[in-house]
Amino acid sequence: MPSARFPIPQGTLDMLVLHVLSLEAAHGYAVAQRVQQISRETVRVNQGSLYPALHRLEQKRWLKSEWRRSETGRDAKFYALTRAGRQQLAREKASWDQLSAAVRLIFNEGAKA
Amino acid sequence: MTKLLNLFRRRRDRLERDLDRELRYHIDRRVEDLIKDGLGEPEAQRRASIELGGVPQVQEAVRDTWIWRWLDELLRDVRFAMRSLTRSWGFTAGAGTVLALTISANVAIFSVVNTVLLQPLAYPDAERLVSVETWWTNTGRASQDVSGPDFLDWQAENDVFEQLAAYFGGNETPVIVGDRAVFANSGYVSAGFFAVFGQSASAGRLLTQDDVPAEPAPATAAVVAHHWAATHFGSDRDAIGKLITVYGDTMEIVGVATPGFRYPGSTDVWLPMRPTNHAPNRSDHPYQSVGKLKEEADLTRAQAQMRAIGDALAGQYPENRFKTATVIPLQQRLTGSLEATLWVLMSAVGVVWLIGCANIANLLLARAAGRTREIALRAALGAGRVRVMRQLLTESCVLAGGAGLAGLLLASLLVQEVVALSPANVPRIDDARIDTTVLGFALGLSLVSTALFGLVPALHASRLDLSNALKQGGSKATASRAGARLRSVLVVAEVALSVILLATAGLLVRSFLALQQVDLGFTTDRVLVAYTEYAVRDDVTEDLWTRSRFYADVLDRLRNVPGVSAASGVAYLGMGREPRSPRDVYIQGRPEGRPGERPQAEYHAITADYFKTLEIPVRAGRDFDPTDTPERPRVAIVNETLARTAFPRESPIGRRIQTGTNRKAAWMEIVGVVGDTRWQDPSQPARAVIYAASTQGAGNSLSILARTSLDSQALAGTLRTLLHDANPTVPVKFETMDELFDSALAYPRFRTQVIGLFASVAVVLAAVGIFSVLAYLVGQRTRELAVRRALGARTVDVIPLIIGQGLRLVAIGLVLGLAGALTLARLMTGFLFEISPWDVGTYLGTIAVLGGAALLATLVPAIRAAAIAPLVVLQQE
Repeated sequence: MPSARFPIPQGTLDMLVLHVLSLEAAHGYAVAQRVQQISRETVRVNQGSLYPALHRLEQKRWLKSEWRRSETGRDAKFYALTRAGRQQLAREKASWDQLSAAVRLIFNEGAKA
Repeated sequence: MTKLLNLFRRRRDRLERDLDRELRYHIDRRVEDLIKDGLGEPEAQRRASIELGGVPQVQEAVRDTWIWRWLDELLRDVRFAMRSLTRSWGFTAGAGTVLALTISANVAIFSVVNTVLLQPLAYPDAERLVSVETWWTNTGRASQDVSGPDFLDWQAENDVFEQLAAYFGGNETPVIVGDRAVFANSGYVSAGFFAVFGQSASAGRLLTQDDVPAEPAPATAAVVAHHWAATHFGSDRDAIGKLITVYGDTMEIVGVATPGFRYPGSTDVWLPMRPTNHAPNRSDHPYQSVGKLKEEADLTRAQAQMRAIGDALAGQYPENRFKTATVIPLQQRLTGSLEATLWVLMSAVGVVWLIGCANIANLLLARAAGRTREIALRAALGAGRVRVMRQLLTESCVLAGGAGLAGLLLASLLVQEVVALSPANVPRIDDARIDTTVLGFALGLSLVSTALFGLVPALHASRLDLSNALKQGGSKATASRAGARLRSVLVVAEVALSVILLATAGLLVRSFLALQQVDLGFTTDRVLVAYTEYAVRDDVTEDLWTRSRFYADVLDRLRNVPGVSAASGVAYLGMGREPRSPRDVYIQGRPEGRPGERPQAEYHAITADYFKTLEIPVRAGRDFDPTDTPERPRVAIVNETLARTAFPRESPIGRRIQTGTNRKAAWMEIVGVVGDTRWQDPSQPARAVIYAASTQGAGNSLSILARTSLDSQALAGTLRTLLHDANPTVPVKFETMDELFDSALAYPRFRTQVIGLFASVAVVLAAVGIFSVLAYLVGQRTRELAVRRALGARTVDVIPLIIGQGLRLVAIGLVLGLAGALTLARLMTGFLFEISPWDVGTYLGTIAVLGGAALLATLVPAIRAAAIAPLVVLQQE
């Protein structure tokens, strides 16, 4: 149901992309599919913003790319994480954990009161 | 530059192509999946595109990320560069000043080159304008002078010109406007003249075929220049219909040319003429010829055709035996005299700039060495080699950009100085200014400067051995060995380039001094010159004698003025002007010889006392005197060159000669031989001359010469009154012979002054370069020197060590520079007078000056090295 899907918050798309690519190298279309599969279709990734994100991350040297034969036999541009990308993902995960823990704490506090 | 741009473009194209493929892949896959889900193909296509948010939109969004990153990094680099430049303001100020100065000098000279040589002439279709000239096959030279019949044949037989016109004059002539007599530059032009230049009238109309007078009649119509109309009548419109009198002929002003049109030279008045009127003869070449090529005719074809026409005429007429025709672009003809000089100046100033760049590269290298640790740290933190290089280059770019801007401002002032120094008759030089071409040049120069002095140190610094640099830690760590070698190479280059410039300047200075000391054959000081023009109709004999009496009268009165020791007249005073074209000379009792093989001489009409006034020695025979009247047999005086060449091993006195085209004229008996004179250009050998007594012929208007012990201003006032009393319609203009001589040397003086200036700048820059390198080396060797001192080396042991190191570089530079200078000197031959391009004195002087400067530059670092206190240094370590 489309209404159940919410747009992902600003700034988290980069993190999701990094995460997906940390599992294995993939092309843009696969990244889009994967994000949706993993999130059990609850997150709606705007496909149009996926590509600028990929390019931005590549320019920050967090991703590297190469043209490779895809599963359909056609050439596709595959992205993979660099070492710097891996470090960045770790940093973002950590800060995300902190943030969500903090948010949960605050919410729980409110529920107790 | 274009290579870099291409690289950039190719990179961008690849990015675009990749993005395109990437997005197409996405759409295709989505469409396949949607079709599998049961959608029809068109619908699937639509959905895929919508989901993506439109391919162009995505492309645009991705492109933004490229640009932002680029801008972001650039901004960061620039900010960083500014910070680092302001931190070491001493370096920035020094390097910036050197660069700003050299750029401004280059821009200033270039803006002159640009205006005079590169900008097309300010006429419509200027690139199709050509000068059609006589080509002398016996001397292999082109001459602008054309005979009337030749011109008419060229005009009739060619099919390459849209218009072909002849003209002559453009010189000062007396013109009577209302009740005043003034000098105006008047040119006689054939019917198509204005059409060649694509001119239209600013008021009235231009000259047409109908204005060209019938064979015996004088002209009745004239066109005047815009500024001339404004000066004399208030405006161009007010000039129309007014009458002016030129050489006794009264004519009506029918038109005014557009503002700025003055061809040839700075003509004020154009009169119509028929090319045969003045010279029906093929051996007389009074005209010049300009043409406009047809659009489809190129220069080569025009040259071939004119050559063919000229060759045919050569076969047809004996007078044309050594003549044919050639075509030269008008621009080349107009700037020819200055072209070589300007290119020499441009090369000289370019060398100064190279030296400046080498200097700054040296400074940057020293800086990079001092920053080894900073750079190593950045590299260790993950900055790629390219990134480090880029950052260093940005620094150079910011420096060059700032200096370029300052240089441009400075250049706008400098241009005026260069124009002020330059010879007066350079076409268009007054228009020299900073325009877009010059701006582009300045920008390019700044960029190339950056590449020259920024790239080498940047490459060098980026090739650091990381661990070593960090380990050694100190700010003056390792860039050392390769760096020191590079710096030495730069110093050698600076010295070598300075030697070349200095030697060139030395040759020019010595040659200029020699020029000034040439024995001209006459003395120039204390001689006042008064140009006058007594206008008469050539065909009214009565008037001619009136004129003759007028001059005799004025000269008599002038001789009676106290303080005037001699006074005389000459029809054509050659100094600083074009020479008169030589005429064939016939000697009574000898075979005439064939055209082109006869002796030739310039012909000058003078009065008695001319030789006395100019202190030209009379070698044999006598001067003209009052007994040489029209009734007496005609007499002539020849100069030594003619005496020697035409009368070898015999005395010319008493021999009779004839000259010019009129073979019915009376023979002239040679009554004297006088010393040679060099008029136009002191560097040229004297020409053969025949002097005739102006009192015997119909004569001409005369320039009056007076040798005086009086102040020239005061005498000029007296003479002006005297002339006015005798005839108020004769205009007069004063000059002194010294002034004329100065202007004859204008070109060599200009070259010498400007190159001399550049050479001195080069020497200073080279000295600074040597100083900075040695100071740096001393800094590097502080520890070693301290150890030496500690082990007992004395001051006298240390100083030679440093000086030796400096002088070794200087010696290599000197040798290379001398080799270069000697190679290039051959190219300077055309500019040199009486000085061999291999003049030993000049090269010894160069070595002395540069060696001296270098020694001075090594002294300070050497003394500093000697002052090293071993204890302090070694404790610090």
